[in-house]
Amino acid sequence: MSKKAFRPDVDAPEWRGGYSPYDIIKEGTIAIVIVGLLTILLATFFGSPDERAITMKIWSNADPIDFAQTAISEMNGSSTTAGYGAPYNTASDGVQLGPLKIAKFMGVTIPINTVKDFIINPLKSWPNQPALNQDLATWSSASSSTQSGWVADYTKAAPNLKFVNGHIVAQTTNAGPVPALIDDLTQMAQSGALDQALVTGNGFYTTNYTKPLMFLADSGYLANLADKQHLTGSQWGMMNETGQYPGQAWLWLYTFWYQIPPFTTSSNADILVFAVMAVLSMALLFLPLIPGLRSIPRKSRVYRLIWREHYQG
Amino acid sequence: MGWIGSIIPLDNLGHYLHWHFILISVSNLIVIGLMIVTFVAALLLPFPGRSRRKENQ
Repeated sequence: MSKKAFRPDVDAPEWRGGYSPYDIIKEGTIAIVIVGLLTILLATFFGSPDERAITMKIWSNADPIDFAQTAISEMNGSSTTAGYGAPYNTASDGVQLGPLKIAKFMGVTIPINTVKDFIINPLKSWPNQPALNQDLATWSSASSSTQSGWVADYTKAAPNLKFVNGHIVAQTTNAGPVPALIDDLTQMAQSGALDQALVTGNGFYTTNYTKPLMFLADSGYLANLADKQHLTGSQWGMMNETGQYPGQAWLWLYTFWYQIPPFTTSSNADILVFAVMAVLSMALLFLPLIPGLRSIPRKSRVYRLIWREHYQG
Repeated sequence: MGWIGSIIPLDNLGHYLHWHFILISVSNLIVIGLMIVTFVAALLLPFPGRSRRKENQ
């Protein structure tokens, strides 16, 4: 029976030298205690990022015109949410990886109709508003082509909206009840009532913030705040934290891909980056099985630097 | 306890370095620098108990 050849990357030679006792439990305990103390000390003296949550009330009071412009983009279907596709609607194929229409395959699991869910239904829930109820009745009784005409007319006026004496003013000619609906929604948001109307919950606790988050994400207001704090995708935002706090530096490779073509221009960048990182992660996971790559530790001889005392002896 | 966190205020906008498509905050750069220093130290610093082992030999 022939003896198998020794493979330096795979086989370990039998150790014929001496042994020393080593207490890994002791070392682990010391490491946990030191890291725990450092965590408590750093958290105590540096605090932690605690930006105030942005609500519809804060947004609509800070920038009522942006709020109204976002609201009309939800009505005319030009907002990101309205055109996103699955899991929110069927407006587009959604995220896809090459020919694989992954989002479409998964289907609409969190249905959002931006006109009904962001505009009409919240307005319907605002109590004691007789004029608003009349406008809502006009809207509901109109045909969809009439509604589209009104919305198109308001859309033309949207770039030049004004906020005068606490009201949104639009120079429209034939927008039906839309100017009143947008103004009422802005008033409702400024009062804080829209925040509650958009939050949905199936149980005692109302914890589903999907709708207000999606509405807010469609705004220019949130994008501007994120840009100022260097938190957008094109600013390596995944790595950054608010203020001067250090961020998630270990995510550099994920966010790196978002800075270079073709990811910078692709509408499917998220799934493409996910796929690239999946391939790289698999390569790392199976490193011991990949010829050439698995030889790097042995050939680079870094181990001889770490264990130099042994190799000198 | 809230006041303790304000001893070193970090809430104002951070400083960023920009070079071509690379955009990095100074605080992240410091953390990365510290990680590299720690890695090099782990390679170069002698293991504890070295003198004791030599005495035993």
